[in-house]
Amino acid sequence: MSDASDADAGGRDADADADTGALADAGSAEPVEPPRRSGRLDSETRQGTPYTESQVIMSTVKVVSPFAFTYGLFVTFHGGGSPGGGFQGGAIMAAVVFMIAFAFGIEATRQWLANTVVVALAVGGTLAFAAIGLIPVALGGAFLQYDLLPLPILDPVKYGMEAVEIVGIAAIVSGVLMGLFFVLARGFNGEDSGPSIGDRDSFTDEDEPDEPDDAESPEPADGVATDGGER
Amino acid sequence: MTGTITPVVAEVTAIEASLFVFVVLTALATAFARDVLAAVIVFGAYSLGMAALYTFYRAPDVAMTEAAISAGVTTVLLLLTLAKTTRIDHEAAFEAVNYPAAGAAGLLFVGLAITMVDVPAVGSPDAPVWSNPDVTQWYLAETYAVTGVENTVMAVLAAFRGFDTFGEAVVVFAAGIAALIVLRREVFA
Repeated sequence: MSDASDADAGGRDADADADTGALADAGSAEPVEPPRRSGRLDSETRQGTPYTESQVIMSTVKVVSPFAFTYGLFVTFHGGGSPGGGFQGGAIMAAVVFMIAFAFGIEATRQWLANTVVVALAVGGTLAFAAIGLIPVALGGAFLQYDLLPLPILDPVKYGMEAVEIVGIAAIVSGVLMGLFFVLARGFNGEDSGPSIGDRDSFTDEDEPDEPDDAESPEPADGVATDGGER
Repeated sequence: MTGTITPVVAEVTAIEASLFVFVVLTALATAFARDVLAAVIVFGAYSLGMAALYTFYRAPDVAMTEAAISAGVTTVLLLLTLAKTTRIDHEAAFEAVNYPAAGAAGLLFVGLAITMVDVPAVGSPDAPVWSNPDVTQWYLAETYAVTGVENTVMAVLAAFRGFDTFGEAVVVFAAGIAALIVLRREVFA
């Protein structure tokens, strides 16, 4: 994990350098290409340099996020008595993480909320739901037959359903949504993602794709292919 | 919570009518906006209008899902994806009408509108929901006695149809796995 984050930091610096170079060249060399966006909607590659630290957004999120998170918890825990439930509450709690990420930077939020937490929520929720369903089966009943749950004092039907909503569905939804957010923010052009088409749309137009062409062009082995490519 | 609930035919109020207009306008703007960023933002407004509409038609559970997932999370994920692309400056705000596509959409609309004639009015006693009161009234009347929760929607989802909900939860989990596989990652990072 630490190695990966170090590599990411280095990669972002390199991307930042390439970014400034591309912007400097864009005016003279390639006037045909559409102008690149300024640093709005920041995500991975642009995260290093132009993350705009807005006092308005940061202080607003600081004020709003505790209330929004409490509301998500309320919707989750109070799903039995009022509209809502685990799905809606989990989505609201994940949206709080999205707000924090937009205010304080996606990369900082990703490091604060480790991958372990996201995976534990998603996997743990699924396993908990399956366990609550399978315990009655082990006791000779049907799947999710709540009245066979071994709860000593509490009403097993009511609190079995609440457990499914809170420990199961809310955890799965919040974990998966946070994971989708982080993995989409990283995108397809990371360093360790193997052969990816993402390299083509990143800012390293001037160094990476040219080198294989220069290395292959002196070789006349596949004449037809290289001619087709160079033409 | 107990006892039978008599159907009441609802009339369209001014707020609902304006919400309908808002939803239709934002849907058209989503289809015709030339800038993708503008389309995504207008689509979020459309989802928010739909959530308010669901609230007026007494489906607060659906409204909360629509507001949280469709207006909130989907908009954020689409914006994140858009940040990966380059944005072209358009001089025109709206796309030119693609007449074959508009014709196909119009035919689909006409086909759906024909079926709307047979859809009962909101709250109508002739609605299929009320035509089988032994079933529907049983859920409304007996949910609290059987399950101990007051929210009938949650009782249906978590207890009466709990196995379906387990399948849906696994589908959500599989969506996360699928995103990892498609993006060739092993961690959510």
